[in-house]
Amino acid sequence: MKKIFIIFQKEMLDNLRDYRSWMTGFFWALFGPLLIGGMILMLGNTFRESAEEPLYLPVLGAEHAPNLIQFLEQQDVIIQPSPADPQAAVIAGDINVALIIPENYGEDFSAGETANVQLVFDSTRQSASVDIDRAEDAIRSYSSYIGILRLSLRGVSPEVIRVIQIEEVDTATPQSQALIFLSMLPYFIIFAIFNGASPVITDATAGERERGSLEPLLINPLPRGWVVIGKLLSAIPFAIITLLITLGGFAAVFQILPIEDLLGVQIGFDIGALTAVFLVSLPIVFLACALQTLIASYVKTTKEAGTYLPFVGLIPALPGIALAFLPVKPELWTMLIPTFGQQILINQFLRAEPISGMNIFISASVTILVSLIITFIAVKLYEGERIITGK
Amino acid sequence: MIQVQGLSKSFGKVKAVQEVSFSAPDGEITGLLGPNGAGKSTTLRMLYTLLKPENGTAKVDGFDVTESPVEVQKRIGVLADARGLYPRLTSRENIRYYGRLHGLEGELLEKQINSLLVLLDMQSIADRKTEGFSTGERLKVAIARALVHNPKNVLLDEPTNGLDVMSTRAMRQFVLRLREEGKCVLFTSHIMQEVAALCNQIVIISHGKVSAHGTPDDLRKQTGKESLEDAFVAAIGSEEGLE
Repeated sequence: MKKIFIIFQKEMLDNLRDYRSWMTGFFWALFGPLLIGGMILMLGNTFRESAEEPLYLPVLGAEHAPNLIQFLEQQDVIIQPSPADPQAAVIAGDINVALIIPENYGEDFSAGETANVQLVFDSTRQSASVDIDRAEDAIRSYSSYIGILRLSLRGVSPEVIRVIQIEEVDTATPQSQALIFLSMLPYFIIFAIFNGASPVITDATAGERERGSLEPLLINPLPRGWVVIGKLLSAIPFAIITLLITLGGFAAVFQILPIEDLLGVQIGFDIGALTAVFLVSLPIVFLACALQTLIASYVKTTKEAGTYLPFVGLIPALPGIALAFLPVKPELWTMLIPTFGQQILINQFLRAEPISGMNIFISASVTILVSLIITFIAVKLYEGERIITGK
Repeated sequence: MIQVQGLSKSFGKVKAVQEVSFSAPDGEITGLLGPNGAGKSTTLRMLYTLLKPENGTAKVDGFDVTESPVEVQKRIGVLADARGLYPRLTSRENIRYYGRLHGLEGELLEKQINSLLVLLDMQSIADRKTEGFSTGERLKVAIARALVHNPKNVLLDEPTNGLDVMSTRAMRQFVLRLREEGKCVLFTSHIMQEVAALCNQIVIISHGKVSAHGTPDDLRKQTGKESLEDAFVAAIGSEEGLE
């Protein structure tokens, strides 16, 4: 058994000296926190701007409709002179929306006919959607206000044209939108674990074979299972450090950004939750190292390993992405799927929901059991001749 | 002491080794001579426990390679066909790793490493990382790590492959020295002159079979040829491998 430690020690020394690989890996560990932080910042700004700030509306031909302009101004719309070519300005992204009032507006309006105005916008531009909706709403309410006046003048009740009145009861809050992003957090945590382990494992397995050092290594008097276990164990510290960097990065992002101001919601990411998330993620470290050891032992070259391993990290992340759009309740069956259970648990920690200890135990046990089975298969692979002949 | 009896191995339809038998006694150099692809490396790989024989037995100091591989591994030092090093480790660290895997440690291990560094004249490269070593330097490290546990049986797969003249000479001197120490040395080569210069007995392998076996004198008698070179050609039935 002592020889497992000798293998472990050698792989640690060897991989620590490959500092470019692990420095790159650790840098990538910050990718998730930076991305989520950026998204929260943008989302928060959108909420604030749209809710609090007045709408700036460039208008071309304002002089043709003084009453409309007056109405809009009463609705907190700040009228601006429009650029000469509003369409070009919208395409260029200088303005979000522009109103064009044609010359014959006044004529049509006075004659009691439908008067046309043009609203220029780009519907695919997400950031402009709030401005577009507000401009459209303001013009519509002016239209219905005048319409009601005209009907009243003719002695017709306005109720005649209002057959159905929709009352909107929207339960969505800015918070629930923000939480969609939080649901992606477990994905980045798992991805970081896989990424932290993969360079070490690739070098220790596929790399060993490619260098031609595997054959002499296996002639040494020790069971091949110990070789596999020593190599697998040597990737664990790297995966754990990557995990810690990612968690630290998230903690820093949530500390530095004024989350409550931006989203109007608190995120439970204090030291306690951080530790809990770390502990819940530990079985995934084992799984990531075992799974990648198996795959990297099966492939023939490091190049081949490089084409498979990033996808391996992606597969456990898929349920997490789905989780962002389809919330799943933490039922027992979800805990039986390695990585899926943990993602739900991590989410629960972040939302400070009550967590079942049973769920934590089951998810950890199943993940460790699956990892043990994968390790066993990897050992069997090493005990065969294929590892030598590659056939 | 290595004893091989009726050893066979195929890969798919290719019969790499068929019914190979010979024995390599202690204190002698036994050469496995044959053209490329004749089955020398496959035979050696079965002896150093990486491939399992389909038929036949191979024993090292009485231990069967299939039944007690770890006992065999303790008693052999191998320069395999693949002789990759760890480029981020120094020569000394490469050798120490194998010493520790053989259960050596502490001062005993360091002393053994130092004596090998002297013996192979490689003190100047001892504490350099092996990245960028020449073929000869890499070979020295590979031999030192193979012999770090002072094995009684030494298996060398094409030890002079890719070496320049001076390194080849040094390598041959080293093999002779191992014999003087009473070790059982088994080495493969496709170079007839090398085998003739070093070996007490020669096993000629072609197409996976032993086609002749004996001392250089025996071989000349068996084939009825005056020179060993002619004897070799007669034994394998072609001029492959004459360099």
